[in-house]
Formats: sequence, structure tokens, C-alpha cells
Amino acid sequence: MIQVYDPRGVVGAEKKATAARIQALKGLRLGILDNTKWNANKLLRELRDQIKAAHPLADIHYYRKESFSKFAAPELIEEIRRDNDIVVTAIGD
Amino acid sequence: MQLAASQIPASAVPASTDLVEWYYEKGFSDGLPVVPPTPEKVAAMLAALGGEPEKVEARVPPRWGALTREVLAVNMVMAGCKPEYAPVVRAAMLALCETAFNLNGVQATTHMASPLLVVNGPIAKKIGMNAGCNAFGPGNRANATIGRAIRLVLLNVGGGWPGELDKSTLGHPGKYTYAVAENEELGLLAPYHVEKGFKAEDSTVFVMAAEPPHSVTNHVANDPQGILDSICSAMSTFAHNNAVSSGHCAVVLGPEHATTISKAGWKRHDVKQYLWTNASNTFGQVAFNHRYGKVYNRSLPVWYGRELDSRIPVVPSAENIHLFVIGGEAGRFSAFIPGWGHMSSPVLREIEGNADPAQGGPRCVDGTCYL
Repeated sequence: MIQVYDPRGVVGAEKKATAARIQALKGLRLGILDNTKWNANKLLRELRDQIKAAHPLADIHYYRKESFSKFAAPELIEEIRRDNDIVVTAIGD
Repeated sequence: MQLAASQIPASAVPASTDLVEWYYEKGFSDGLPVVPPTPEKVAAMLAALGGEPEKVEARVPPRWGALTREVLAVNMVMAGCKPEYAPVVRAAMLALCETAFNLNGVQATTHMASPLLVVNGPIAKKIGMNAGCNAFGPGNRANATIGRAIRLVLLNVGGGWPGELDKSTLGHPGKYTYAVAENEELGLLAPYHVEKGFKAEDSTVFVMAAEPPHSVTNHVANDPQGILDSICSAMSTFAHNNAVSSGHCAVVLGPEHATTISKAGWKRHDVKQYLWTNASNTFGQVAFNHRYGKVYNRSLPVWYGRELDSRIPVVPSAENIHLFVIGGEAGRFSAFIPGWGHMSSPVLREIEGNADPAQGGPRCVDGTCYL
């Protein structure tokens, strides 16, 4: 027998459950995260306006990532988590 | 803690196994045959990395695999590296895994960017890197296998497999290997790392997410302006990523061009400032004259004008042009190397030295400069 190697290295990942599905939009606070890619704002503003017209939400907050290619800042993620019940994001290339 | 990949770094196969084919079948190759790692070769590489096989040097995105010293050693052996290349490969991987570089984005993007490595200082000569004739091409083991080791790590540990976590539309040949050294021997301009505050006797590795080099020909000009105007011409298109996404780029002066520039008394900052001042597009060009709808372009700095005739620099400042002298002594050629854009910052990292910022050393933290 001869020895062989796995060159991939181990991935350590924490298992997390997805959030429960929302049943109704009424009275909820909606966060919209714009990733700042070329057309993300056009897509998300239109989506915001359509949702606003169709559903009685309590509030809508619009956020921008610093860069479309980088993670949102931890402070921004915390703010979104604190002030919203549901969040929509999209890239809009 | 859930472990998604094999925890067993090594196992055994029958002695009759064709190991080159075995590594192909496992999907651990970049497409070229790998050097089958033997316990002896891995041990020698590991010793050069400082031992401690389980020590995690970095986690490599987007797969976020743990790059232990043993895993790094295995990939280096597979690439064909000699143990003396270890400090360069390790420093390059640490630079690539700095947050500012955004390797996660570089690996995953549809753009063709690949990390470019430029090594400065005495280690380049010590390990036999090619900074001269055909430096970006084949024929030199150190250049070829250092770049290849980086790519194997990005594939195997980072998971940047084409079509899976690497979504590049086209890729480019530098994704096999893209590692060179600066030609410091000719002494035409100060070495790159000295401009950034390191001592000449320090060794560094520069990494930048880069498109392939674009050749710049000028066999006519006998002054800096004429040569640099040709480079400006290569820079002043709206097709490369810098034009629409800002960020950083590199310019490589071939030695004949650098000699003319140096003899005229021009220094590095003169060259960079001339290029920055004279290479540009108009906003109309990068906005397609609003033919497809009104364009603002959020990837460009807020301080750029947005009138059709507003001047749009290729990068936001002369400091975002990274200047190197590389190549053979004959031939009046240089090269422009566009970057990926504002999404990634180049990183300059010291290779196992003692540069101390407190002693008037480089403008860096922990051996790493965010450029």
C-alpha cells in the first residue's frame, strides 16, 4: 500500500435552522438590503413600491451594503436584525 | 461543529496505483498532472513551513477550508515546489486571506481576475525566480510552481472549481500560475517594496486581483513622455474593469523602456503621476452616453464628475497604480495589467522578516500593508 493525501483541508461549519416562514405581511417591518450592484436599486425600489401598495406593512427600511462583493458590516446586519421582521435582498446585475 | 470534508488527510491505496491518475480521478488537479505527494516530500515541505502540521495558517474562501501547514505542504508538493519556496507561498496565502483582499469575491466573481504575485527583495534571487526574459511565461520552476501552488490551494482548499464556486465567465491563463519577481538587479528605479517603506534587504510579496498583462509596444520614443503615452493608450479604454469599477492596476515597465525613463531622471512617482494624469476616459464613454438608460455608476468614486465630458481617471489616484520593472534586457515593451476593481485591495506582505513600523519601517500592521 502507498500513502495518499487529501489536499482539501477540513471545513468547519455550524448547523443553523432557517427561520419560520412568514404567514402574513400585515403589520410587519420590512428591511430591504441593496447590495449596490449596477441595477440592484432599480429592482429593489420597484419591489418596495409594489409591496407597499399591496400590503399594510408597519414600516419599510432601505439599507445599502458598502460593496456588492463584500459581506455587509456586522453593525449593519445587527441594525437590520433589530429593526425588521423580514428582509429582502437581491443583486440586480 | 459539523465537518463537511474528510477529516482524514491521508489514507492508503494499493502499491500498483497510478498516482497521477488517482489525483486526477479525485478531482484534486488543476488539469495538469500533479507531483504525487509522498510522506518524505510532505515532511520536507512541512519542515520548511516550521512543522506543526495541524496549525491553521488561514481559512480559504469561498469554501473556507482550513489551510493547515500539512495541507499547504501537500499542495506545494503537488505543484512541484521546492521546500525553499515555502516562505513565499505562505506569505502569499496570508496576504490573499487578508480581509481587504476579499478573496471570497475574487474567487467567485464572473470577472476573469486571478491573483497576481510579485516578489521583491533578496529571496527572489535566492530561490531562483525569473524577473527577466519571459518572466510572465514558462521555463522557470520557482515562478511556475509558486503560482501553481497558490492556484491548487485556491481550488482544493478554497473550492474555487470552475462552474462551482468559481463563476468566471472566461478565466485567464494566469489562473494556472501568475507569479513573477521584480527585476531589481538593473537598478533602474527603486524597487517596489522600497517605495512602500520596506528596506531593500527585506523580502515581500505583492498580491493583486488582476486581468492578464496587455502588451504595450513603443519602439520609437526616446523620452519618458512618449513611452508613457503608449501605456496611457493601453490604459485609456472603457473595456477593462478599472474603467467601470475603479480600484487598482499594475504597470510593468520593460527594462529598455525603464532605462530611457530612468536616464531622463524620472523617478517612480513621476511615472505614476504622469500615467494617472494622462490616462483617462470620459464619463460619456463609461456611461455609454446614456444610450441604455441614465447611468450614474455607483462603482466609481462620488467625487468624479458625471457630465458626459467629465474626465474619468483609470484609478482614483496615482497611488493606485502599482509600478514594477520586469523583463529581459532586449525589447521595447511594457505592459498594463488591469485589476478587478474597488472590490479588492492589493496587499503587500513581508516574507518572514523583521520590518518594524515603529523603527520608520513600512506603513503596515503585522507585516501586512493594505494598499
